Amino acid sequence: MNDGQVASRWVDDHGECLYRYALVRVRKPEIVEDLVQETFLAAVRGYEKFAGRSSERSWLVGILKNKIVDHFRKLGRETSFTDMEFLSDEFSEKFVPVGFWNHDLGPHEWKPEPDTVMHRAEFWQVMRDCLSKLPEKIRAVFTMREMDGVSSKEICATLSISDSNLWVMLHRARMALRECLEMHWFDTPAGGAS
Amino acid sequence: MPEEPYNPLPIGNPSVLARTNWWQTLLVKFIGKHTPKCREMVRILSRSMDEPMPLMMRIKKRLHFLICCWCQRYEEQLRYIRETARKLPEHADEASGAEFPADVRERIKQKLAENVR
Repeated sequence: MNDGQVASRWVDDHGECLYRYALVRVRKPEIVEDLVQETFLAAVRGYEKFAGRSSERSWLVGILKNKIVDHFRKLGRETSFTDMEFLSDEFSEKFVPVGFWNHDLGPHEWKPEPDTVMHRAEFWQVMRDCLSKLPEKIRAVFTMREMDGVSSKEICATLSISDSNLWVMLHRARMALRECLEMHWFDTPAGGAS
Repeated sequence: MPEEPYNPLPIGNPSVLARTNWWQTLLVKFIGKHTPKCREMVRILSRSMDEPMPLMMRIKKRLHFLICCWCQRYEEQLRYIRETARKLPEHADEASGAEFPADVRERIKQKLAENVR
């Protein structure tokens, strides 16, 4: 197979997966299309560097992740990436005035065991829906940190935000996502609640 | 009735220490007074996902967990969220119901063909 045929096969075999993955991270389809296209172009150019240590798909997802980070970096240069409006009260009703959890509203026990949950397609749909409820900038920061494992320092440098703003944004994202997963999965019969 | 300045309500409280007798009450008051309140603890727990927690705060956290199963759950759930988020790329197909539009597929193929010639 020549390079053109290989690239065409990649689009057939992995295009859908890459497209869906990018759509979870960046909600605009036109940007997603560009990112997936750039990923394949970069893959064609760097094919000789692909040593086969990982699967083709993992390699392509790795390239796509970098493209997404580049996209957010560019966005960070064009506009302020700090979003402190979201959840400014940080679920204050969950705590009594002196600062302890309101026991009725505190975190519930999550069952079943995580490994079991991860094999359920419905769980991943709930995860996607919960992520998509986060405002764009908060979601970008959260996914870079938690999905891609980018260090806090690198995120601050990439998006030009301060350490303290990053921590606040991550805290709010985690709190909102935890709450959403609990409400829409773990407290439902599908999520193991009785 | 003024609110207790430490973790209240022994009823329905599954924490290790829940004021079910006098010595537990003493311990709960002591720990409640000398460790951060839950509202602050959840911020600290979130931050500890991004940078190491100082030794003294780790000790305070352990003590706090004795009187607060909710903060302990919160920490476990933050770790769980991280673990699942890292696995999302493997499950992108299941996570997104979005179709890969045929026209997008063709445009990408065309662009690739132009570039690898």
